[in-house]
Amino acid sequence: MTQASRRGKMPVMPSFQPAKLLRLHFTERDSYRGQALYKAIVEKCREMKIAGVTVFRGIEGFGETAEIHRAGSLSHNSPIVVHVVDTAENIDRLLPLFEEMMDGGLIAISNVNVLRIQAGVR
Amino acid sequence: MLPKGPAKKVTIYVNEDTRHHSGALWHAVFTYLQHKKIAGATVLRPLMGFGAHHQRHSCDSEATMEHLPIRIEFVDTEERVNEVLPTLYEIVRDGLIEVQDTFVIQSAREDQPARESLPKVWDRGEATMLRIYLGEADRWHGEPLHDAILKRLSMMDIAGATVYRGIFGYGAKGKAHKEHFLHVSEDLPILISVVDQAPKIEAAIDAIAPMIVDGLIVLSGVEVIRLVRGTRSEGEAAPPAG
Repeated sequence: MTQASRRGKMPVMPSFQPAKLLRLHFTERDSYRGQALYKAIVEKCREMKIAGVTVFRGIEGFGETAEIHRAGSLSHNSPIVVHVVDTAENIDRLLPLFEEMMDGGLIAISNVNVLRIQAGVR
Repeated sequence: MLPKGPAKKVTIYVNEDTRHHSGALWHAVFTYLQHKKIAGATVLRPLMGFGAHHQRHSCDSEATMEHLPIRIEFVDTEERVNEVLPTLYEIVRDGLIEVQDTFVIQSAREDQPARESLPKVWDRGEATMLRIYLGEADRWHGEPLHDAILKRLSMMDIAGATVYRGIFGYGAKGKAHKEHFLHVSEDLPILISVVDQAPKIEAAIDAIAPMIVDGLIVLSGVEVIRLVRGTRSEGEAAPPAG
């Protein structure tokens, strides 16, 4: 089986648009210019007029340093995941900025199909 | 166990005192259904009724207590119903048999057989991942929208769904969702993630999209590795790995 055929089926739904889902993985303690990195990233998205961004805090995890990130331990260093869904062009604009802001961690991008529902727009 | 989906409901009306061989007809019908392992049957004794003779039968007084009706009802798949109908037609010489289309939405029993002894199979395949982004304060008929969506998905027999609460972000409304220290914000971002086969995800989207006023629905293809216990019968080959 080829890598492409393994990736699973994306149903073709009318009114869905192709887009990219960007996931940034880092920790709660990571900062950018004296501010929590996840807050700085949300602000940057707003500045870049990105339609939406969501920050999740994991319960436990470990990353490239193999150090366990967990809330409640002395370090208060839970894993953080940021989701951004937008057009390929907008994600391409964001990527170099995030690469500059992040000092470690992981960036994952997937191809997705998106339906955006907004009050009064339907 | 009766599968969810289209089924047939059969209702039989007979007189309480109609005989079949040496016993009551209603009892013969019930025994036959049980013998044929029909999914389930119920015998009901009504308060009142009349039949072809337009004579009122009721429990009110002794004078009208004769020939009280008995109602037998059962639900099963079309195939099973077609299997038992000819015999029912044969034995219910005096009465009424009615068949209607129905839809089974829940058919569960609590005493599941022990699963531990069944073989463990890791099944590899492709599936679709659905992500729904909402606000925690979004409502559907007075209840939290994410709860309503989860209930809807479970009713549709979707393989599984997980609800995550975000800590920060903004969405379609353009307003910040933020978790404050010592202050619980009511509108944090919510993510519901669902993995199932493409046709079921498509049906789920059709059911859920109209419930959302502000939000984002994101689809992607994924590869899944799923643990199934003993659903494959012996001798049947396992799918080639990878």
